Amino acid sequence: MLLVPCPNCGPMNAADLSYNGESHRRPDPKTCTPEEWRTYLYLRENPSGWLLENWYCSSGCRRHFKIERHTLTGELRAPVLPGRKPGATQGDMK
Amino acid sequence: MGKNKPPAKYSAAGLLWRGLRKQSWPRVWREPEFKSTYDVVIIGGGVHGLATAYYLASNHGITNIAVVDKQYLGSGGSGRNTAIVRSNYLTPEGVAFYDRSLDLYNSMSNDLNLNVMFSERGHLTLAHTDSALRTMNWRAEVNKLQGINSSVITPAEIKKLTPSLDVSADTRYPILGALYHPPGGTIRHDAVVWGYARGADAYGVDLHQKTEVLDILVEGGSGPEGKGPSGKVTGVRTSKGDIHAPVVVNCTAGWASQLSNMAGVTLPITTHPLQAAVTEPVKTFLPTVVVSGSLHVYVSQTDRGELVFGASVDPVATYNMSGTLEFTEELAGHVLELMPGISKMRLLRQWAGLCDMTPDYSPVMGPTPVDGFYVDVGWGTYGFKAGPVSGEQMAACVANGTTPELIKPFELSRFTEGTLVGEKGAAAVGH
Amino acid sequence: MSHRLPAPLGDVIDRSSVISFTWNGKKLQGFEGDTIASALLANGEHILGRSMKYHRPRGVLTADFWDPNTTVQVDDEPNVRASHRKLADGMAVSAQNVWPSLKFDVKAANGLVGRFLTAGFYYKTFMKPAKLWPAYEHVLAKFAPGGSVDLDTPHGRYDKRHAHPDVVVAGGGPSGMAAALAAAEAGSSVMLVEHEHQLGGHLLWGSNDDRAAANELAAACAAAGVEILTNSTVAGRYEDNWISISQRSHPGVIERLIKARGKTLVGAAGTIERPYVFQGNDLPGVMTSGAAQRLIRMYGVKPGTRAVVFTANESGDSAVEALQSAGISIARVVDARAGEGITSASGSKSRVKRVTLSDGTTVECDLLVTAVGWTTPTSLLNMAGDRPVYDADAARFFPAGPPDNVLATGGMIGDGSRDELIAHGRATGELAAGRAAVVRHRLQAATARAAAVDGPEPDYPADERTPLDRAQHPELYRSTTHGIVDYSEDVSSKDLFSAAGEGFDSVELIKRFTTATMGPSQGKLETVNTVAVLAEARNETIAEVGTTVWRPPYAPISLGALAGRINEPTRVSVLQPWHEANGATPILAGQWVRPEHYGDPAAEVRNTRTNVGIIDVTPLGKLDLQGPDVPKLLNLLYTNKWMALPIGGVRYGLMCAEDGVVLDDGVTARLGEEHYLMTTTSSGAAKIWNWIEMWLQTEHPDWQVHVTPVTTGLTSINIAGPNSRELLGRLTTDIDLDPTAFPYMNVRRGTIAGVQNCIAWRIGFTGELSYEIHVPSGHAVHVWEQLLDQGADLGVKAFGLEAQRIMRLEKGHFIVGQDTDGLSKAPVTGLNPLLKLDKDDWAGMPEVAWTMESGDHPVIVACQPDNGSVVPEEAAQILRAGTTEIVGRITSSRMSPTLNRSICLAQVTKEFAAPGTSLEVLLVSGERITATVQEHHAHFDPEGARLRG
Ligand SMILES: Cc1cc2nc3c(=O)[nH]c(=O)nc-3n(C[C@H](O)[C@H](O)[C@H](O)COP(=O)(O)OP(=O)(O)OC[C@H]3O[C@@H](n4cnc5c(N)ncnc54)[C@H](O)[C@@H]3O)c2cc1C
Ligand SMILES: [Zn+2]
Repeated sequence: MLLVPCPNCGPMNAADLSYNGESHRRPDPKTCTPEEWRTYLYLRENPSGWLLENWYCSSGCRRHFKIERHTLTGELRAPVLPGRKPGATQGDMK
Repeated sequence: MGKNKPPAKYSAAGLLWRGLRKQSWPRVWREPEFKSTYDVVIIGGGVHGLATAYYLASNHGITNIAVVDKQYLGSGGSGRNTAIVRSNYLTPEGVAFYDRSLDLYNSMSNDLNLNVMFSERGHLTLAHTDSALRTMNWRAEVNKLQGINSSVITPAEIKKLTPSLDVSADTRYPILGALYHPPGGTIRHDAVVWGYARGADAYGVDLHQKTEVLDILVEGGSGPEGKGPSGKVTGVRTSKGDIHAPVVVNCTAGWASQLSNMAGVTLPITTHPLQAAVTEPVKTFLPTVVVSGSLHVYVSQTDRGELVFGASVDPVATYNMSGTLEFTEELAGHVLELMPGISKMRLLRQWAGLCDMTPDYSPVMGPTPVDGFYVDVGWGTYGFKAGPVSGEQMAACVANGTTPELIKPFELSRFTEGTLVGEKGAAAVGH
Repeated sequence: MSHRLPAPLGDVIDRSSVISFTWNGKKLQGFEGDTIASALLANGEHILGRSMKYHRPRGVLTADFWDPNTTVQVDDEPNVRASHRKLADGMAVSAQNVWPSLKFDVKAANGLVGRFLTAGFYYKTFMKPAKLWPAYEHVLAKFAPGGSVDLDTPHGRYDKRHAHPDVVVAGGGPSGMAAALAAAEAGSSVMLVEHEHQLGGHLLWGSNDDRAAANELAAACAAAGVEILTNSTVAGRYEDNWISISQRSHPGVIERLIKARGKTLVGAAGTIERPYVFQGNDLPGVMTSGAAQRLIRMYGVKPGTRAVVFTANESGDSAVEALQSAGISIARVVDARAGEGITSASGSKSRVKRVTLSDGTTVECDLLVTAVGWTTPTSLLNMAGDRPVYDADAARFFPAGPPDNVLATGGMIGDGSRDELIAHGRATGELAAGRAAVVRHRLQAATARAAAVDGPEPDYPADERTPLDRAQHPELYRSTTHGIVDYSEDVSSKDLFSAAGEGFDSVELIKRFTTATMGPSQGKLETVNTVAVLAEARNETIAEVGTTVWRPPYAPISLGALAGRINEPTRVSVLQPWHEANGATPILAGQWVRPEHYGDPAAEVRNTRTNVGIIDVTPLGKLDLQGPDVPKLLNLLYTNKWMALPIGGVRYGLMCAEDGVVLDDGVTARLGEEHYLMTTTSSGAAKIWNWIEMWLQTEHPDWQVHVTPVTTGLTSINIAGPNSRELLGRLTTDIDLDPTAFPYMNVRRGTIAGVQNCIAWRIGFTGELSYEIHVPSGHAVHVWEQLLDQGADLGVKAFGLEAQRIMRLEKGHFIVGQDTDGLSKAPVTGLNPLLKLDKDDWAGMPEVAWTMESGDHPVIVACQPDNGSVVPEEAAQILRAGTTEIVGRITSSRMSPTLNRSICLAQVTKEFAAPGTSLEVLLVSGERITATVQEHHAHFDPEGARLRG
């Protein structure tokens, strides 16, 4: 099982977190077209490679955070809390 | 169908004859030469790609076709699935579609002259809660209206059909009833793949294994590099060279997004592993296919005596097929809830395949905004049973240039139009 | 025990302890330390089973865990590996796969027609007539191999353990022991896991010196604090060295699953001796050199009287010595290194009798021992992503290079003397410990709240081990004749040739077509021979053909161990003991056990409607929301408006997902300036908490809202019925219940039955005047009992979930997930006045707006069957009259005790939604009835006079 580093709790078994999928910008609900909104709702890049995605520390501190994960190899880059900038590196967990 | 029957005919007499003469059988399919032009390129040598090729050739006379696969035929979901077939879906469009597939499966051994070992053993979907029972009733009612043999049965009837199930009331997940679908069953997945491959090859379709598509060639599109909407497909770039073709069909299931992205078409798909496992063989005791949605598990026993288990897809999207320990732990716990007597059986092997999940648990079929680029994807955890009908309908779609009625509800455009299909309730763990 | 050898042969058996068991009903004896197979051989029983397809007699081949020929039934346990399982007193052992008996097996007739039953034959026949396949299938199933399950087997004691070792060593031979020892000496916590029953690996059947060295290393490991797990298997290696270990030796437990997060994994699984492919290679009496040595040296069993030994290596030479020490005459040593070979063996049905050599001579014997080389069991390394590479000079596959946190040592990567293997093991152990220390440091440092980590990060040690040499070995896979490649699947080299000829000519295809390598020994013995034969058939090298990927587990694990102690928790309210003591019928509702009713739900309804009833509604999800921005949050998540809810106000709200589909509903009360209490559906409680956190943390991190789930902290009781005000009034002094002071959809806090800080609000799910009170759970039983005591003369009675469902249906309230489904967007509910499109934003708003604009959606309506005595089933379909076109379905239905008629909610297309429309309903029985759409959702008191009173 993958170890996913929560920015708060440190490395957690992936099963103790919830996975919220590909990270997306939410269009302005007042002005968006159906196409824009449904792109946000349904369409996914779903790459085999690096992907910025949302995780939720559901059995730990209940933090939502973003992390870059390689969808083929499982490698992870440093997690980012919403509202903070990516940058601080998180050691390689392997 | 079948103007051009495959050569060496398989039969009991043939087995005897060749056995006596110590003669061997000819190759099931050729090792074709790589050509640079075809009328149709089908990406993906799974059941969908091969069936599409087969029906294009047999029903429409289009035979200048390349099926390319980056690995061997059936290396994707088609060779990894648990081969459960049924047609007791929830929506009328789903029922009509899968029922046609079941028809094709019924005559397949004969049509393809290869025993696909369709075992019509009956399919039970257990209900452990009131609300599950309500959904089972709903499915049964929709099914019956379309002439599908499907009904809700009581715990006592379940026990009679499948004595190994614990139907007592005082369990954590009591069995309150089940949707019983006598025509459901299992099939030998590899045989279906080989049958279509052999059939297509006999019509002259070229099957290129170990040929990876690296890019899709598109001209005139509105996206980067002339790809994307309003473009026109001109061929594919493969690890063995370019192939020019006016029609390209994406039948790559778990890898569907990767391939569609190459054409500039974004899909409503995420790729999740689905895991399965088998036990060591024991003498047969489980006569039906048993599915429990609440417990995320389904099980059947092969003729060889192994129990074959599956579950629902892993929550985390990934292209990694290495599988997890948690899957086996949960599986075992849940199976023993259903059949407490089998704790001493041993899990022999686990594996995973990639599933192309859509938001409405229904496929994406037909044309795309790129002219000549078709998709037959979004098969999630239920696409094996749909192989024959998808091949038949996609062939018609490509050959006639219009989307047949049976697959209209599954067009890509439904996502921008917001008209999703309502299978979600029934397919979550319904194989 | 006629075939038992005298001591000192038989290291692991204890001749002073005799064990009795039965074999196919016959009483036999063995010794403590025997495996089932060694005990059987000692008794002269050398046929242990029959092969799967041709039902050929089979005997011991490898005499270890991987022996494909010796699976037996032991009591209620199928597929026991007789060459591994220790004999125990009273075991009832029987052969599997035999009918009617081991000696006389009718299915052996299959052998005669074998020529026609080539691999994959079933694909080519039984197609016609199609109707007959089920009959054929039935017959084929009779041939299913394996033992039998006793469905009454109880779930015995299984267990699980989590472990956090620095280093896990898989394999307890000389290199594995040395690695474990060195790692422990370097300060690592170490688990040393050995498949067999004792440490030592191949030293156990080696020379006296070998055995002494094994004992010494084992003792040193124990002294160094290594945790030694014998009769245990490292079964899987998953991401980030998540390692599963099946421990079959934990006292009092049948099998235990250990889940270890190893910082480094050392693969030291040695090698597995390969059988040789030639005609007759599956005759009883043909075995590997390891098998012969194990039987003689470890178990003191004489495997034959006159032997031919075909050897290409030291193991064969050592087998010759072992055979001699056992007094077995050596008829011939055939030395592959000298260019000699064997072509075939023949015999009677039950035993090898003679061997034909490459030079054409034949030699009589009753034992043929082969030593033709090794397979590296790279399974665990495969799971770590390694893809082994073939080395033709050494005639075996080697790991290509696993990831940094997985190291291999010993026979898996090379050859050497005992001392060389130990030295390599030691170096590997040191490296493993060094790397583990770095990983440990990083894991601690990454845990932000952990106490400061000691010192700087240690250097990451590079791999500077002196590699082990690889011994030259002739490539010996198949002789010039065809023989069995896969013993458990009965697949011969001939089958593989013909499959390759048919085009199934890659490893993966041939494996699927012939089922070679798919059986219980998981390809440990068969894979490389399969690859070699395929290479031969294709006229390619083994390296070109490549090998298959070994999948987990390394060795089969029982379902019992994987499940562990089965413990699926349920939730209950603190009142549940009261309910059960007072005649409640429990029902499972999601995770909760709740009272369905206390005997007669219809009576409960009538009592509530005429007097007063109380119901435990604790499972309602409850979230305590505090902070200045709560109104913004509510405004964002609910479809209606929340900015102006006054303190003391309660409002109903509907939530949508971003696709406009109804997600949840409930009421939220404003308790104070910045303090709110939200309720959700019972099943939605956890989901909505996550949903709120998601919005707050990702879209609006600047909003100040603090969310605390209080679902079980507060016990919720609904007091409903005309007498509810009177009843509550008797229990509270500080809440003014006067309808003008405390109107409908209001909330008050106060003391109830002496319990302070209770919350009471007036809402009307049942349609009655009702107060829902939320009481600190520690005092809930008291409050509940007080309600019953004080209200005795008011006719108060508890009511259950079923009565509540009836009353809500009478009142026409829909239930999310029952009356709505996965496609129901908010307008389906008919609550259009609550869908405020003039707000700036709310979850799902755009889709709801477009749906309302198009008007193209079904709606929920109330309907009543024209024959009020018929209750259509929930799920009954509504059809366009006289057709099979589905236009809706009944979503809820009950017989109403209040109205004395059947009532329903339904979802129908717009066309059928107008009041007065006649609907045609198809009952499950097939009968069609008619029902009429009602004016209001509420079948009862549509104006709400009762609840507002
Ligand atoms: C464990 C498991 C159990 C399942 N159980 C069932 C079941 O019981 N019933 C059921 O109906 N369905 C089941 N399914 C789903 C079913 O297997 C799939 O939906 C179905 O096999 C899809 O078939 P396909 O032909 O579309 O794709 P696949 O068989 O996956 O074929 C796709 C092919 O595309 C090839 N490919 C990918 N990328 C490229 C490229 N760039 N170039 C060339 N080729 C490429 C791959 O190599 C692969 O062979 C299960 C799936 C799994 C994983
Ligand atoms: Zn956390």
